[in-house]
Amino acid sequence: MSYKKIKRMTAVMRINHWVVALSMIVAVVTGLYIGHPYYQSFIADPAVDKYVMAWNRLAHFLVAIIFDVSSVVVAYLYFFSRFEKPYKKLLPTGKNMAEFVAVLVNLLTLNRVKQFDSSHADSFNAVFFFVFHMLLAWMLFTGLQLYVHGLGSGLSSIGAWWPAILHLTTDWTVGVSGGTYMDVRISHHYSMYAIIAWAIFHVYYQIWRTIFWKEGDINIVVGGNKFVEEK
Amino acid sequence: MIEKREALAKMFSAKGSKINTNRGAEYYDSLMQTMTKRLAELEQTPAASKASIESVLEAEGLTRRDFMKWASAACAALMLPSNFTPLIAQAAVLMNRVPVIWIELQDCAGNSEAILRSDAPTIDELILETISLEFNETLMAAAGHAAEAHLEEAMHTFKGKYLCVVEGAIPLAMNGLYGTMGAKAETYKDHLIRVAKDSAAVVAVGTCATFGGVPAASPNPTGAVGVQDVVKGKAIINIPACPANPANITGTILHFVLTGQVPELDHLNRPKFAFGYRIHDNCERRAHFDAGEFVEEWGDKGAQNNFCLYKMGCKGPMTFNNCSIVRYNSGTNWPIGAGHGCIGCSEPQFWDKYAQERPMSDTHFKAPTGGVEKTVDQFGLGLITAAGIGIGIHAVASLVAAKKEGDE
Repeated sequence: MSYKKIKRMTAVMRINHWVVALSMIVAVVTGLYIGHPYYQSFIADPAVDKYVMAWNRLAHFLVAIIFDVSSVVVAYLYFFSRFEKPYKKLLPTGKNMAEFVAVLVNLLTLNRVKQFDSSHADSFNAVFFFVFHMLLAWMLFTGLQLYVHGLGSGLSSIGAWWPAILHLTTDWTVGVSGGTYMDVRISHHYSMYAIIAWAIFHVYYQIWRTIFWKEGDINIVVGGNKFVEEK
Repeated sequence: MIEKREALAKMFSAKGSKINTNRGAEYYDSLMQTMTKRLAELEQTPAASKASIESVLEAEGLTRRDFMKWASAACAALMLPSNFTPLIAQAAVLMNRVPVIWIELQDCAGNSEAILRSDAPTIDELILETISLEFNETLMAAAGHAAEAHLEEAMHTFKGKYLCVVEGAIPLAMNGLYGTMGAKAETYKDHLIRVAKDSAAVVAVGTCATFGGVPAASPNPTGAVGVQDVVKGKAIINIPACPANPANITGTILHFVLTGQVPELDHLNRPKFAFGYRIHDNCERRAHFDAGEFVEEWGDKGAQNNFCLYKMGCKGPMTFNNCSIVRYNSGTNWPIGAGHGCIGCSEPQFWDKYAQERPMSDTHFKAPTGGVEKTVDQFGLGLITAAGIGIGIHAVASLVAAKKEGDE
């Protein structure tokens, strides 16, 4: 029995993945604090020496920007990846739908049925990641909407164009989430939980595939390769 | 779904948020000409009310100097250059030329009370006493048929010229029978439409009249809505808050007296001079927010040191109003100054979404699945727990299945 090595992710793609993972952890930790400050500042310190909420918000915005830039890179890869281009796996063609079902069946039958080519990204994963990217886009737009509330006068240090463009691109989230600014906040907070649940399943599924498929899938995001049995 | 789509369409047509406080000499020169002309015309018309600002000020023991101080403050509040101050003073004197019909619908009369019942009325409040109030259920002596006849007469005499001020929500459930008026049991809806029809502009005062307010809170048994959901094709100015700040009511009426037009409005039809800024950004406790110093429970050390009220549910970060600048009762104090967080009373759906003494993540809302109210965190942790349990079952089952296969 011999195995074939298959290159799946370049070094840049792997770094991008871990940057996203780290950003997400920081965003959740700081975001929970912004929503409900869960630890106290050092009361004895004078207020001029500490900006605990401000630091949390700064970190939240910074990782959000890194997160968004990484997502733009991923969006680029959807169409121009050297490997399997994800958008091709997302199109609802008969072949893709059949593959989606085959991978789902594999998961639900606890790996007793495996009737698809697992050497490259499959339709199930493509759809699963697309959901994640949609959640991220929602977080981006709702987050910027919450941010622009602080620029109530319509001015900012970098010019009036910045709040204007934020209003233009994110005001629709108010209507979609329920009609008030509070609904945007609630939705931003709910979506965080959806993303955490998504990440939990993602980590589990990758470990599950590594253990049961025996193709070294976890190495895709570490070494960049996986191994498929040669027939 | 249709409501959401309408809200969406409205958002896309929002007029932007920029508050332009310096429009250049040319703009202000032409504005000054418009206002001077308008005031000269108003002066020619007979006073509709006997009350004059001079007599009211004298009765309260206020001097001309107090009045001019007020005029310069009002000038600044309306974001006009200081050379408009004499015009503002003149407009206040001519307030008794602009007829106002004030109708009272489904509410607690709190906005009237806020203006009329104060111990030491401010000049803002006194000026509202001098407006030519043609009709007001709470104040007028007339009752029954006499009152109805008076309303008819006022609407006929000042057709197209009067300001229609509305206080209170409009119940629409059961064909509007939750609120009727007069011997013919005219519903509030019909009453509002009839009075608003011949008005120059409609001013919705208080959150009930603007967004439905407390009567529209879940489950909204009377189907209460705001004026803008009933009156169409009219200039509507919304002055929300519970109660609306007399300074903002006076400012809006002043603007109308000065220009004959409605002031610049935001996407919720609120005057930008009053609702253009966020409470949080002008809050005296803001430094404590940034420092992470919060009141943890009522009366604790933080409360004694005026720490931020965010963890006690303050909604200043999501509420647009000028309370933190103008305050209430002659600038004496305001909710956050008195040690209680903002409840977001000038925002739509404030009773359901804002008015809780907890931060958003701890507040009981309807869960996305409907039914029992949950906090966002409870729902989210439930979601994560469900994912965890599902994964656990799948993992154990996979291991068992793999072991079985191995044994075979």
